[in-house]
Amino acid sequence: MSQAREAACDRDRGCITCSDEGVLLRVVGSGIDGLTVCADAEGRLAEVNVDLIDGVAEGDVLLVHAGVALVRVGGPEKSLA
Amino acid sequence: MKFVDEFRDADLGRVLAAQIVATVEPGRHYKVMEVCGGHTHTIYKYGVDDLLPTNVELVHGPGCPVCVIPMGRVDDAISVARRPEVIFTCFGDMLRVPGSNGTLLEAKAEGADVRMVYSPLDALRIARQNPGRDVVFFAIGFETTAPSTALTLMRARAEGIANFFCFCNHVTIVPPLRALLESPDLRLDGFIGPGHVSTVVGARPFEFIPKDYGKPVVISGFEPLDVLQSVYMVLCQLAQGRCEVENQYTRVVPYDGNPRALQALSEVFELRPHFEWRGLGFISQSGLRLSSAYGAFDAELRYTVPGIRVADPKACQCGEVLKGVIKPWECKVFGTACTPERPIGTCMVSSEGACAAYYNYGRFARERQVV
Repeated sequence: MSQAREAACDRDRGCITCSDEGVLLRVVGSGIDGLTVCADAEGRLAEVNVDLIDGVAEGDVLLVHAGVALVRVGGPEKSLA
Repeated sequence: MKFVDEFRDADLGRVLAAQIVATVEPGRHYKVMEVCGGHTHTIYKYGVDDLLPTNVELVHGPGCPVCVIPMGRVDDAISVARRPEVIFTCFGDMLRVPGSNGTLLEAKAEGADVRMVYSPLDALRIARQNPGRDVVFFAIGFETTAPSTALTLMRARAEGIANFFCFCNHVTIVPPLRALLESPDLRLDGFIGPGHVSTVVGARPFEFIPKDYGKPVVISGFEPLDVLQSVYMVLCQLAQGRCEVENQYTRVVPYDGNPRALQALSEVFELRPHFEWRGLGFISQSGLRLSSAYGAFDAELRYTVPGIRVADPKACQCGEVLKGVIKPWECKVFGTACTPERPIGTCMVSSEGACAAYYNYGRFARERQVV
């Protein structure tokens, strides 16, 4: 379930550790342990903690950093590209 | 609305570049610091600086948490990782940061159980799966990353997990900015503020920069047009005699940040009296440690660590790079003894470190021709 986060850790896309790196993911469903399953623009999946955001729904676009969604940036109409 | 493609449009970039040229005074030299390593990465990946007039200089700030970790903290981490009962977990970049006697990756090669994770939640999962071992997470990062650590510790406490510990190296962004502004050897005209840190803390914490130091701040996104537009907005403020905090990244950053994240941070962490930053020395109230309520998860309370301050290698000039005093290519070992494959300094380790960004995108070759 860490494919999307793994993709964020390379030379061209930066490293998850670093300061301000965040990735845009779309909510696709519920995961285990109270986590939420999200997908990146290429369809790779990641489990995300959405405890910091109210009312997250399927299709929402979230800014995710180190496995935690920090802000909801749009709904289903928003593109990840 | 799109979030990426529209902010990489070359034609719009040329329009912005022309507006910048029309805004600057030809006889004046402008120094604008991009605080965040993510911006540095964007600038050199996309050649944003090539679109700027020669009298607009971008100075790279201390906003890469890997780059500001002092060697002594790496030594402390390795001493914990070598303990036989410990599974030591950390993000990928930290594995290659040299301490005074090797890296975490070398400790792993020598038998230490060091594992790379992509989130502290992954480390907590390892703790659940290994109840007979201590699982230590190397927590690092600014306010963007700290909420992830905080939520993980809150979850560990709620679940009663007793074998999960945090070696906390989280830092905060405002104190080093104040230290830079107080530095006599650095004259800056304005700042490009950190976008994703601001999703957590908001724009308000940066208001001291225009208020106390008379410098404009523009909080910026991370696509090339974001950075270019932010440079333009800083220059516009200077041209119009304005001085304020502006938010270029409104599609993501709320002015007041994320109150729930701030609440989590205040519950789990407290400020250290001082914390050492590579190149900047000890800065008061710039680092976080676990609060007393979470002391049972604090690796520094569970284990004895050397805690020795270690001087940087003499040849390494990361400190001057982090303060923006020199460009990466001006360091004596840049691209020769110090490369991303065999880094001496932290700025060459992280993909968002200024030295690695210069090196990876071939900027050193052009800069050397200029010299």
